[in-house]
Amino acid sequence: MYLSRHLRLLPKANIARSLNGGGVHYTTASSAAPAEDSPIQIPNRIQRSPTDLLQALAGTVGRDSTAPHYKYHDDPFLIPMSNAAKRTYAMSKESGRKAAQWIKEEHRDLFLHHEAQPAIEKFAPSMVFTEDSQVDETSLSQLISQGELKDAVLVYSLLEKKGVAISSDLKQSLLELVCFYNNEDPLPEEWIEERWFLQNNRRRERSGKTWKDGDLAEKLYSEIEPKTPESYAALIRGMAKYLQGERAFALLQEAAEKRIQLDTNTYNSIIQIVSLLKDTAEQRWQLCTDLLQEMSQQKLRPNIGTLNAVLECISTFGNFKLARTAALKVLPEFKQLGVNPSLGTYYYLLIIFCRERGPVSHIIVDILNDIGGKELSIVHPKDTYFFATAMDVCRNHLHDKSLAKKVDALLHTGKNYDLIGDSFKESIYYRNFLALLCQTETIEDFMQTYDQLVPNIYIPEPGIMEEILRAVEINGAVEHVPRIWSDMVVFDHTHRESLLLYVLRIMVNNKPSTDSPAHQQLPEQCAKVALDMYEKVEEAVKRLRKVSFTGQMLGDILTLLVRGDNFEKATEVFAHIDKNQHRIPGTPSETALQEFVEASIQNKSPSQALTALQYAVDNNMESSTLARRIHNGFTLNETHLAKLKSLVGESFLEK
Amino acid sequence: MNFLNKLVPQVALEVQQLSKSAIHTSAVCCRVQSGRYRITTKRDRPLTYEMANPPHFIGHRKSWNSWNTSTLKDSLRPSQTAIEDLFIRKFVTGTWHALVSSEIIIKRQHNTIRIAALIRQAISPRKMYFLIGYTEELLSSWMQCPVTLELQTVADKKDVVFKYI
Repeated sequence: MYLSRHLRLLPKANIARSLNGGGVHYTTASSAAPAEDSPIQIPNRIQRSPTDLLQALAGTVGRDSTAPHYKYHDDPFLIPMSNAAKRTYAMSKESGRKAAQWIKEEHRDLFLHHEAQPAIEKFAPSMVFTEDSQVDETSLSQLISQGELKDAVLVYSLLEKKGVAISSDLKQSLLELVCFYNNEDPLPEEWIEERWFLQNNRRRERSGKTWKDGDLAEKLYSEIEPKTPESYAALIRGMAKYLQGERAFALLQEAAEKRIQLDTNTYNSIIQIVSLLKDTAEQRWQLCTDLLQEMSQQKLRPNIGTLNAVLECISTFGNFKLARTAALKVLPEFKQLGVNPSLGTYYYLLIIFCRERGPVSHIIVDILNDIGGKELSIVHPKDTYFFATAMDVCRNHLHDKSLAKKVDALLHTGKNYDLIGDSFKESIYYRNFLALLCQTETIEDFMQTYDQLVPNIYIPEPGIMEEILRAVEINGAVEHVPRIWSDMVVFDHTHRESLLLYVLRIMVNNKPSTDSPAHQQLPEQCAKVALDMYEKVEEAVKRLRKVSFTGQMLGDILTLLVRGDNFEKATEVFAHIDKNQHRIPGTPSETALQEFVEASIQNKSPSQALTALQYAVDNNMESSTLARRIHNGFTLNETHLAKLKSLVGESFLEK
Repeated sequence: MNFLNKLVPQVALEVQQLSKSAIHTSAVCCRVQSGRYRITTKRDRPLTYEMANPPHFIGHRKSWNSWNTSTLKDSLRPSQTAIEDLFIRKFVTGTWHALVSSEIIIKRQHNTIRIAALIRQAISPRKMYFLIGYTEELLSSWMQCPVTLELQTVADKKDVVFKYI
C-alpha cells in the first residue's frame, strides 16, 4: 500500500531506476568505497548494566528550574509555594506511604499473593517473629544480612533461651550489627523525605555520649571467647561512633597490650574522637601522632578515612597556628602514601584555614583549581558538608563573587548535585549564594539569578529577603519591588514588620520619575502594593498575629496611595490613622501629611485637609506650613476658615 | 410440560405455537443501554464530557478508560487485568471519597501502572499528598508493581460539567 502510493507519486523514469535497484545508490556505502582495503574492525563488546540506558537518558535532562521538584505533583493546586509547604507536602506523601505499609502489615494475610515471577520480597509483608516462633541459626544469619536489627536481637534471645549453640562467626556478625546501630532500629532507607528533612533536628542532639553501656553489644562481646581482632574492632568502632571515648580508647590499649592486630578503620574511629580524650591542642596532636605511629608499626596502610579523621582532630584545635602547620604537614604525607583527598578532606581544610577570627586564607582557590570541573562521587560521610561550607567561605570569609560562581559551577557538574547533602545544607548553600550575589552583583544580573532559583529550587528566608531588599534600595531599583512583594506574599513573609517597613521605605524614598517609560506604571503599582499591604496587616491584626500598624508604616502607605492617584483609599487610610491615633504607636512623617494635604487640594476636599491639620496639631507636629498651604490652596468658606483659625490661631494669616 | 397437556388442552396448544416461533420473529431487543444516561424530567443531571458521549464515540470523540495490551492476540492476563482495573477504580473512588470527578484512566506500560483522574479541590493539598502516597503505596503492594498517580485538580465540581440532561 505504502509502496504503491509512492510509486504513483514518482515520475516514470524514477520508478524503473528504483525498482531494478542497479542504478544510483543513495546510501553511504558508495561514498565509503575508497576505504575498502582496511579491514572492518568490530569493537569489543562493552558490558552494560540493566540501568545504563536509563542513566544515559537521564543524563540528557537536567533540573528544570521552571518546574517544581518532581517529587511534588505537577498541578497548580499541589505545587508548594513556601519552605513550610515544601516540607509538609513531601512529608505527608511519605506519611501516606507509611500508612499503607501499616495496613499491609496489619492485614498481612491479604498480601500474601504472588503476582510477580519470581516473587519480589519487598512487596510481601515482612516476617514477624514472636516468642514462640520456630527459629534456627539460618534465620538469624538471614536477618543479620538484611540488617533487621530488632528481629535479629529477638531471634538471638530466642535461640539463647532454647539453648541452641550459636557459632562465633554469627555472634561476631550480630555484634557488628548491634555496634553499628547502637542497638537502636535505624530509620529505614525507603523513607527518603524523612532523611532529607531530618538533619535539622539531629544536629542538636549530637555531641553527647549515646553509647549504651552494659547493653547487648558488650554482652555479646564478653561471650566471644577467645577475643578476636574483629570483636575488638567492632566494639571499639561502635563505642567511638557513639562517643564513648574513654572506654573505646581503653579497649584499644588493651588490644595493644595483648598484641592483637587491629585494622585501619578502627584506628580511624579512635583518631576521630581524640578531641574527646584530650583537652588541649598540643595533647591532642601528641595523641594523634602516637596513634599514627602505632599504625605504622603495625604496618597498617592509612586510607581516606585516616586522612579525614586526622584533619577532623586538627580542626578542633583552638590554636590556629598549630592547626595550620599540622594540616600542612599531614597533607603531603598522605599524598606520598597515595591517598587521594575527598570532598570531606577539603571541607576540613576549609574549616581549619578559614576561621572567623583567623587571618584571611585563599585555600579555596587552590581547592577549586584542584577539583574544578571534575565529577565527584561520595567516598566519606563528611563529603556532603563541602558545598555548604565552601559557599559560606565565599560569602563570609572572602566575599568573592567569582569564587562563588566557580563553586556553583562545580556543584552543577555531572552528578555532583547528589553531594549537596540534605535540605538543611541545601538551604544554607543557597542562602549564602544569594546573599553574596545580591551584595556584589548589579541588580539586573542578580534578578536573573533570582528568577532562576526562586521559588522552585530555593525560597529565601526572611533574612535573605531583607538582604535582597537592601540591594534593591541601594540600587534604587524600585521597579523590582512589585515583583518581590508578590513573592513575599506567596512565601508568607508579610507578618515581618521589618520587611514591610523596608518595602515601604524603598517605594517612598525612590519616587518614580514619570519621564522614563519603564516607570510609567510604577506609581500605580506601588499604590497597589501599599493597599495590598494595608489589607494584609488589617487582616493580621484581626487574627491577633504579631504584626501591627505603626504610624510610620501607615504614613508611607498614605504617601504611596496619594502618589498612585488613589485618593479615595488614601482618605480611608487616613481616617484609620485619625480614628485609632491612640492605639497606633508613632505618627506618620510630616512629608506624608504634606503630600496628603496636597492631594486633597487637588481633589478639592478641604474637610480632608483640615482633618489632617487637626491630626498634626493634636500630635504636636509642625502645623504652620500645613495651615499656610491649606489657606493658599483652597478658597475656604466660613466654617472651614473658623476651624482653621481655632486650630492654629490667626497668626499665619498675616504673613 | 406433560402436566400442562393433561390439565388444560388449550394451554397446551399455545405452548406448541410458542415453541414454533423462530428468533427472527421474536420481540425486538436491540436497545442498548449501557454507557448511556437517561434524561431526567427536570433536566438537571450533570454529565461530564465523557459521560455525554455514548460508547460508540469511543475512539472518535472520547478515548478508552483502560490502556493496556492484554486483549491483543496471545497476550497475558486479560481477565486479571480487567478485574484489577475494576479493583483500582473502586479503591480510588473509595479512598478519594467524593473527590473524584471524572472517569479513572488506567494506563499500563511495561510493569508500571499510571492512574489518572480529576480531583476536586475540596481538601487541603497536604491531605491530598497523604492520599497520593497512601494510594500509590497500597496499590503497588497489591498489584506488586510500581503505581503512579497522575492527578489534576479542579476548583469546582461544575468545572467538569459538560451539559445537563
